[in-house]
Amino acid sequence: MVLAFLAMGLSLQAQSMEDALKPVTRTYAFTNATIIPQPGQQVTGATIVVKDGLIQAMGTNVSVPANAKVVDADSMFIYAGFIDGLSNAGVPRPEREQNGPSRGRRPDGVNPGDPPRELAGVTPEKQVRGELKHDEKSVEDLRELGFTAAHVVPRGRMLPGKGSIILLAGESGEDMLLAEGVSQFVQFSSAPGVFPATVIGVMAKFTELYKQAEQMQMHMEAYAKNPKGMDRPERNEALEALVPVVNGELPVFFMAPDVKSIYRVMRMQDDLGFDVVMTGVKEAWHVVDELDGKNIPVIVSLELPDPPKEKKKKEGEEEAMDEEMKMLQQRASERMTEFESQAATLAKAGIAFGFSTMEASAKDIRENLRRMIKNGLTEEQALASLTTNPANMLGLSNSMGTLEEGKMGNLVVTDGNYFEEGSNVRFVMADGHLFEYEAKKAAAKGDPNASAKIGGSWAYSVNVPGQTAEGTLKLTQEDGEITGEISNSQSPETTDIEDAVLEGNKLTFLAPIAMGGQSITLEFSIVINGDEMEGTVSVGEFGTFDVEGYREGTPE
Amino acid sequence: MIRSIIALFGCLFLTVGLSAQVEKAQKGTFALTNATIVTVTNGTIEGGTLVIRDGQIAALGSNVTVPSDATTIDCTDHFIYPGMIDGGTTLGLSEVGSVSLTNDANELGEFTPHMQALTAVNPNSVAIPVTRVNGVTSVITVPTGGLFPGTAALINLVGYTPDQMYAGFQGVVMNFPNSGKRGWWDRRSEDEIKKAYEKNLKEINDIWAQVELFMKVKEGDDAPYRPEMEAMIPVMEGDAALMIDVDKAADIKAAIKWVKEREIPNPIFTGVAEGWRVAEELAEAGIPVITGPVLSTPTRPSDRYDRPYANAGMMHEAGVKVAIRTNEAENVRNLPFNAGFAATYGMGKEEALKAVTINPAQIFGVADKLGSLEVGKTANLFVSTGDPFEMKSDIVYLFIDGYQVPIDSRHIQLYEEFLDRSPGVRK
Amino acid sequence: MKYSILFALLLFFGVSLQAQTQTGSMLIKNGTVHTVTNGTLENTDILVVDGKIQEIGSNLRAPRGAEEIDATGMHVMPGIIDAHSHIAIDAVNEATNPVTAEVWVGDALDPLDVSIYRALAGGVTASHSMHGSANAIGGECETIKHRYGTYNPNDLRMVGAPRTIKFALGENPMRVHGEGRGIQPATRMGVEQVIRRAFAEAKMYLEAKQKYETARQNGDNTVMPPTYNKRMETLSAILEGDIIIHCHSYRADEIYMLMQVCKDFGVEKLCFQHTNEGFKVAPELAEFGAGASVFADWWAYKFEVYYSTAYNAAILTENGVTTSINSDSGELIRHLYHEAAKTQRYGGLTDEQALALITINPAKQLGIDDRVGSLEEGKDADIAIFNADPLSIYAIPMKTIVDGVVYFDREEDPADMRLDVNPEEVMPAFFQDIQDHKHENCMQDTYMTFEELFRG
Repeated sequence: MVLAFLAMGLSLQAQSMEDALKPVTRTYAFTNATIIPQPGQQVTGATIVVKDGLIQAMGTNVSVPANAKVVDADSMFIYAGFIDGLSNAGVPRPEREQNGPSRGRRPDGVNPGDPPRELAGVTPEKQVRGELKHDEKSVEDLRELGFTAAHVVPRGRMLPGKGSIILLAGESGEDMLLAEGVSQFVQFSSAPGVFPATVIGVMAKFTELYKQAEQMQMHMEAYAKNPKGMDRPERNEALEALVPVVNGELPVFFMAPDVKSIYRVMRMQDDLGFDVVMTGVKEAWHVVDELDGKNIPVIVSLELPDPPKEKKKKEGEEEAMDEEMKMLQQRASERMTEFESQAATLAKAGIAFGFSTMEASAKDIRENLRRMIKNGLTEEQALASLTTNPANMLGLSNSMGTLEEGKMGNLVVTDGNYFEEGSNVRFVMADGHLFEYEAKKAAAKGDPNASAKIGGSWAYSVNVPGQTAEGTLKLTQEDGEITGEISNSQSPETTDIEDAVLEGNKLTFLAPIAMGGQSITLEFSIVINGDEMEGTVSVGEFGTFDVEGYREGTPE
Repeated sequence: MIRSIIALFGCLFLTVGLSAQVEKAQKGTFALTNATIVTVTNGTIEGGTLVIRDGQIAALGSNVTVPSDATTIDCTDHFIYPGMIDGGTTLGLSEVGSVSLTNDANELGEFTPHMQALTAVNPNSVAIPVTRVNGVTSVITVPTGGLFPGTAALINLVGYTPDQMYAGFQGVVMNFPNSGKRGWWDRRSEDEIKKAYEKNLKEINDIWAQVELFMKVKEGDDAPYRPEMEAMIPVMEGDAALMIDVDKAADIKAAIKWVKEREIPNPIFTGVAEGWRVAEELAEAGIPVITGPVLSTPTRPSDRYDRPYANAGMMHEAGVKVAIRTNEAENVRNLPFNAGFAATYGMGKEEALKAVTINPAQIFGVADKLGSLEVGKTANLFVSTGDPFEMKSDIVYLFIDGYQVPIDSRHIQLYEEFLDRSPGVRK
Repeated sequence: MKYSILFALLLFFGVSLQAQTQTGSMLIKNGTVHTVTNGTLENTDILVVDGKIQEIGSNLRAPRGAEEIDATGMHVMPGIIDAHSHIAIDAVNEATNPVTAEVWVGDALDPLDVSIYRALAGGVTASHSMHGSANAIGGECETIKHRYGTYNPNDLRMVGAPRTIKFALGENPMRVHGEGRGIQPATRMGVEQVIRRAFAEAKMYLEAKQKYETARQNGDNTVMPPTYNKRMETLSAILEGDIIIHCHSYRADEIYMLMQVCKDFGVEKLCFQHTNEGFKVAPELAEFGAGASVFADWWAYKFEVYYSTAYNAAILTENGVTTSINSDSGELIRHLYHEAAKTQRYGGLTDEQALALITINPAKQLGIDDRVGSLEEGKDADIAIFNADPLSIYAIPMKTIVDGVVYFDREEDPADMRLDVNPEEVMPAFFQDIQDHKHENCMQDTYMTFEELFRG
């Protein structure tokens, strides 16, 4: 069971349509589609032709070239490919982060007061170029959501390095690279047991480096003018990397998810005077006026707090505290609304922002966009924040962000309005590479009034692209209590299912499995009709897959 | 001339005598006259006299004759109160907090009810005089750590051996599994906390089943040597209390259920920080509570700021028998102030005074000896210049177990030495 | 040129920050007014206009639209000031080096800390949020006003309050660096040398800067300034008298040591914190002019406080040392009036002396006594109103006012005062807060386990 699911996860990365079917032409035509060239515009019955990675023609009167691969996009929507305002897409996690020393412990033999600058997190010169991997899962995940370009930054601590623009397709990491050194990335991340180990250490260190870079700049200028009698300027890669920041030539993308961080960044910016982009914000509703007043560009996080889970009645405190619980519930839900309407609040204030997928789980992103829209963000604003706004902020509006002739062939094709539940991304074209996706089954809805006998042994299969996992699910229903165990054909181990609930003919349950020290919970949602079952299983951040199965033998 | 030399010698002797002689606790017959006597159980007597003889209160009232052999102490404008009892401390078990070798409260092991606080209590702890000069004359001193840390004992704060200090109550301590966080340093996830809680709950249940089994086999010839099991016998037979430390609302409810299911004869709940949330259930269960410290922060950030101050009063209001503790070692002297805060935030002066006198005495089954000023009770009492909860009041005389105890402690000695040091401030 | 830019920047900064501070006007009528500096006045009114005390007297009139508070039977005192706390900051100890003068806890103010409200509910209107005691020289601290309700950390700052810095002597720096990491200081001798070295280096840094300035003035452009070093910048500001040292200390010997070191470097602004054995060197403290900020009765939680006395504040006061009583704790800060009152039992201080310990004296120690710490015309309207004599155990803080704005009102106190609500957690987790009873908050963030903290 364990190994099988692990294998499933890995196999996701290896599979790609291109491996099987190398394209024979680099000209594509999407015909008869509803095209949204830019937020607020819409053309129906239109065709778009992409040749050698560029949009060659677009409109209702476009003739399809003979050598084009034609995609019949009847009743489909075509948007400009989305641009991720900031993330680590394509940058693998370093080994030690995965299974190195636990957080908060410093390596042996290091003077905690004067650690090597890599350990302290001071690597402002770093670029992602050497680390980029075109087949990283994060690249595939984002692409499947419709993202075709991303502003990516190195992983690290307080000063991880400089940002690059990548396209979310390519033959190699380097092949994805569009531009380097477009930004300086900074975050309030402390070092493990060495200076700077706290946020105050990080802020002091940043200020010191900044002022040293200013000094270096001054020194270099003076030395260039007349070196006579003067010590030569010290060479220091980290400081030299900060000189463009000090000169106002490079914007600082400062990670500031919470309101306190936003204020801290604003104060440092006031103090030192760098160009800042407030990045990954989640609580900016408190600071709309200040951001607006200071004209600070904003990148909004696509992560939202988890919606409350329906909790089963537990014994103990809850019932005794009805009034208190009501009050607390209200406060929690008011706060949730504030998170969900942050984007709308910024938009209403006229602040144009982009989105960042950093910290957001790919499987939540579309749902989170819908939650933001439900709380006042218009679809037009949402689309702008995924396309034109980040293009403007990153200086990319000549090449991407809208669908125009001559711009990059970056587009996303959906079988319905992207922002509506149930629509699917069917094609993504990034840098002229075409990716096709299956329509996902809508989560099994079931019929609350139907009834189902679920007892017995079921054979199931899970469809993962390129692979099918099979196994047995044994279910018992006694006095309304559902128990059972699930196993996989590749392993003799079984796992007890938990929290099984049957509503009408819809069965949901959890199967917690251990995975190399981590535990992952499989969430099953299945509709049962007679002796057949059909539904989905969510496997943590790996995604959601279709399940089907049938009963072996007779109902119990 | 000669007279002046004699006088000089006299002075010399006096000085020598003063510096050499340490004041000791003295037993005897004492008459405290012209006092306002706050009996706690029988009202307040103005202009009364209280006689101490053979370690007991021999007489008290407004028409008491002073015995001829009595040392008379004029208490005009002063008040006599029963000595206060702290229902939960580590006094005498912990000397210097951060120096582990001076800490005897926490033995290794989860199930160690045979660890006797009375064995390790240090009669000469510097903290004992510091405590008693504030009118605290008895405390429970409690082993800590693990599920069953040991057996707590009630002691009087006078005496040179544990036996001389012992005040007639022992209770087995149990830390009920905690399903909450233990402090800011507790970085466990919700899942880890839940797992630890369930593990601990299973452990206490397993232990209890073992104890019940031991009760059956203990009389047999082949009964094994199991001192930890032996230590539970008085609890099972109702001779000793089970002092269950529990704070979180859900845990309190679980503990009530647990106690009922096992028909524990003599349970006492201690801590009970969230007692106010489940006060009705506590009252209904009829389990007495020793709560505190009153001076502590709310258990949840959403709680009203004064909940810990009000907790004792809210439980009392619901009908729970409440005593107050400091849960302190060196600062048990703050007991009257803990009671004072409880009084101010809803409990009222009278009830708060009971919560540090007669209530703990009743809870510990020693109300025939301690907890109020009544004839025949042990002479544990103090004379103060006013309400002992008020910081402005001074404790001027102190009697414990019939001993007149000097108003002295290292804190006072340092004051006397350094207030006007030589060389002093250069003017 | 350089200085004028800096000055303009500061000015702009100060102004822009001050603009955010909310102020109010009100008339507090007919209370018993404990001015602290000018005696206690019965049946007296206080007129507050735009956050300042405009007049103290009788039969005063409220300005149009201003709130009128009937304080009949109530006791009105200056807002309480805590000279030592760690509330409202997100980081306490940058414990990675024996000297970390470059960090500043004011960088990490946390206006969402519910402890601020709890402190207000104890009549406390200002506090000194301090770096911890892991390092011989810790970071700069921040004097804050308890303007709870804002999400902007800058709103908490008491703009214009002097800079302060945390030093620490004795067990804590010895334990963290000597015992924990095998580097100096492992002894009180080492602590002295760590501080002396830091001051000496700062002196050299200052000299190098001066050399650069002189060269510039003489038209020599070949000399470069010393490499900017934030630690040295802070330390040299101490030597120049721009920063008040607040030094965590317990034993008499180490207190005496730091006074000697400061004398050698010409440093005069010095206040000791905790100072448990300050009473043993009270005459020396008085002579130096150093302040002492102490606990009312904490002792015996570690060896260096075993030989202390609850009479400390009284002895210090009687010997002429400017003394305050502090909390160092989110718990104690809620009842500093009670802590101050303990000096009446332990040493018989008068009401005025006792109240001074939590008002004008801490204000002096923080260098803000021209603005707060007593009820005087022209001072900030930071006021606490009690239903009884604040030195009585039965007193309840009823209203707490900062800059003429009521931030705590017991009559209108909603239970849940969190600003920081987690939308994913309806019922906030139970949190048994035992830290206040057994060890110092000073040692937060030192990467020590709970066990280490307790057992040392």
